[in-house]
Amino acid sequence: MSTVEPTATKRFSFMDILKAPLLIAIALIIALLLLGEYLSPGFASGQQILRLLIVAALMGIVAAGQNLVILGGREGIDLSVGGVVSLAAIIAGNLMGGENSGIVLAILGCLAAGAIVGAINGIGVTLLRIPPLVMTLGMLGVLQGLLVVIRNGIPSGRAAPGLSQFVTQPVFLGLPGIIWLWIVIGLAMAFLLGRTMLGYRIYAIGSNEQAAFMAGMPVKTTRILLFVLSGMFAAIAGICLLGYTGSSFANVGEQYMLPSIIAVVFGGTALSGGKGGYTGTMAGATLLTVLQSILTTVNIDESGRQMVFGATLLLLMLFYGRGKALRA
Amino acid sequence: MARLVAKAVSKTYGATKALRRGDLEVEAGEVHVLIGSNGSGKSTLCKIVAGSVRPDGGQLLLEGRPMTVSGPEAARKLGIGIFYQELSLAAHRSVAENILLSDLPGGLFVNRGALNAKAQRYIDLFQGVTGDDFHADATVETLRPDQRQLVEIMKALSSEAPVLIFDEPTSALDRAQVDRFFEILRRLKDDGRSIVFISHRMDEIFALGDRVTVIRDGETVATKRIAETDPAEVIRLMVGGEETLVAAEPHQPTVVAATAKTVLAVSGLSGAGFRDVSFNVAAGEILGLGGLHGQGQSTVLRALFGAPSPTSGSVQLNGATLNPSSPRATIGRGLAYVSGDRRRDGVISGRPILENVTPIHAVKQRLALASPSALRAKAKPALEALRTKFATFNHPISSLSGGNQQKIVIARWLIDRPDVLLLDDPTKGIDLSAKTDLFQLIRKLAAEGMAIVLYSSEDAELLGNADRILVFNGGRITRELTGEQRTRFNLYQAAYEAGEAA
Ligand SMILES: Nc1ncnc2c1ncn2[C@@H]1O[C@H](COP(=O)(O)OP(=O)(O)O)[C@@H](O)[C@H]1O
Ligand SMILES: [Mg+2]
Repeated sequence: MSTVEPTATKRFSFMDILKAPLLIAIALIIALLLLGEYLSPGFASGQQILRLLIVAALMGIVAAGQNLVILGGREGIDLSVGGVVSLAAIIAGNLMGGENSGIVLAILGCLAAGAIVGAINGIGVTLLRIPPLVMTLGMLGVLQGLLVVIRNGIPSGRAAPGLSQFVTQPVFLGLPGIIWLWIVIGLAMAFLLGRTMLGYRIYAIGSNEQAAFMAGMPVKTTRILLFVLSGMFAAIAGICLLGYTGSSFANVGEQYMLPSIIAVVFGGTALSGGKGGYTGTMAGATLLTVLQSILTTVNIDESGRQMVFGATLLLLMLFYGRGKALRA
Repeated sequence: MARLVAKAVSKTYGATKALRRGDLEVEAGEVHVLIGSNGSGKSTLCKIVAGSVRPDGGQLLLEGRPMTVSGPEAARKLGIGIFYQELSLAAHRSVAENILLSDLPGGLFVNRGALNAKAQRYIDLFQGVTGDDFHADATVETLRPDQRQLVEIMKALSSEAPVLIFDEPTSALDRAQVDRFFEILRRLKDDGRSIVFISHRMDEIFALGDRVTVIRDGETVATKRIAETDPAEVIRLMVGGEETLVAAEPHQPTVVAATAKTVLAVSGLSGAGFRDVSFNVAAGEILGLGGLHGQGQSTVLRALFGAPSPTSGSVQLNGATLNPSSPRATIGRGLAYVSGDRRRDGVISGRPILENVTPIHAVKQRLALASPSALRAKAKPALEALRTKFATFNHPISSLSGGNQQKIVIARWLIDRPDVLLLDDPTKGIDLSAKTDLFQLIRKLAAEGMAIVLYSSEDAELLGNADRILVFNGGRITRELTGEQRTRFNLYQAAYEAGEAA
């Protein structure tokens, strides 16, 4: 036997903490909650925290798809997620029309729509070799136009009571259904990325596409699949968002594009692909939601919040971008 | 009196003696050929003369006077111009700027018109053979390899130096470009210039040269008049005597080879960089591919693997037709391919060893789930067969040495045995002990019945391991060496023979 023993485990150091995005994110979440409670007593009450988690779940579900696309590398990014969220909210509202009996059909319809959008993105990126940034930005434009057309033709639908209840009311152990759904998605993502060959393949393609191809992996099919999954996750978020707001309104989903990317990067996934995971992204989504809420508490309006988000992303790139530059 | 003399110049890089004792005498008005196998020190000698490498010892004389060249600029002032084998172009600058790089017209602002006019003189020398989109304003980055080589030639010519050195200037050029270049060199020679010319092609050397100096293992072994020698003698000088012995570690030709069944039959295979390649490999046989670097050996192996597919020809695997449409397709049929460029084609960098050793197993067994413990159990024997040193399966592959990384990449093919193993210069850049481990394994695999095709850029590896050697030249198989024919001399002779124009 010629394998050598692992070198003695390194001593724990402060630098290691800085390198663990998950720990940073959790520490920041707690710090922000304390800050919020200080600024506005009641901010960190149990009820408030539940509400924050619901909002975080919506963002986190969108970020799950974003995370997969980014992991797949080749500058993978999906800017069309916001459009898909809005589209799904409208489709769901109309298909269920406020009736519980329409929920199943609505879910199927939305998933199909999300999958189709994702497939077009994926085909554009792989077969037509359009850069993901351009492809999905173009798709976002198409979806926004489509939404205007739809809105002029049909009334915006309403959420079924069952859906609203699932999203906002406790269903099990005091937690709303959407939080359970998010936990299930978290477990499913961990399983997919760590315990399936598809997961290995996603990392391989994101890390060295040429080597993955030479090892017989179906590179293009896999990348298309990632965009399809991203579309479907955004569609699920769109249905849940309808349940949260009760009825769909113009461009409800638009607010998700930037945060879904920030959550992924905050969670330690490299924008260059092949490195990271979903657990960190969940923490990142939660952190962003708390931050958003604090900004609202101190009366910073939507445009101000967008500015803070954009600046956050740039700061993150500054920190994490270093490592990427060194590796290149 | 010779115009340029190098006496016993030497250069050592760390543990590598790049040049032990380089001697060279160049007369005015001659084309002096420098020849020697790869790594024999030709480029080092040229760079010392041109001032870009400082010698450790020895003496340089120019027109009889000792000269010290403090750098490339000084050499140029002394009248020595050079074409660098690895090219010395600024990728983002224009053709004109590159040609005149070393003496750009002075002043704060570059007068583009004057610059281009001056450069055009050198561009015009190659009028008609430069190919499309080649003009003074073109950015070097956008040029094809042959066009870049032409720019480097023009750059050397623009020095207008009495001594011009060309270190393998024709490797990417086509026949028409070479012919034009030789015409220019002959004119320069007639003007009394001294030209040092390195090439691996016997036809070029004998067509152009007046004298030839042979370098072997960093030492000048002889200088001959071209008119008084022949290719066989030059090769003998390069090899060092006409040995009959196969190699230091002779590998007996497989006895069963005559009766063993053919596993892979390739016929009339053509593609980018190779034409009409046909050969068979039997079970248990190690078939070597030899010749100078880049003569189609590597592209043939990749084509068989489907990366990318050949344009024509047929491949039979175990008697059935194989369509090499993609690596995925050929892997499924029992082919394996190991690239020498492991960073590009092999290593999934940043990922754990486990994920790097299992992808082929996953493809072949169509695994959907990844059970780390089951995969570890599968991978362990394969890694042990190669004596791979690693800490745990969870460590990233990038934490290992180059040799161990390559072992992991090779081990991924051993979990489910392929029928044919294609090795494309697999030992490039790995340490000696890893090489030894690898060849032990390869011979064992062959003994167990695997058909193996081995391309190596190191002749010793071929001579020491291959049962049969096919020599490639200009994208074709030009010679087959079997049994006692597998000598270093024969291998060199076939490799250096005039190939067809690329
Ligand atoms: N800069 C360098 N550092 C270390 N080794 C070198 C360097 N340049 C050349 N060598 C080594 O010196 C030997 C001679 O190289 P070179 O002069 O380029 O040979 P040739 O041009 O005849 O192929 C080779 O073994 C090569 O690896
Ligand atoms: Mg050289």
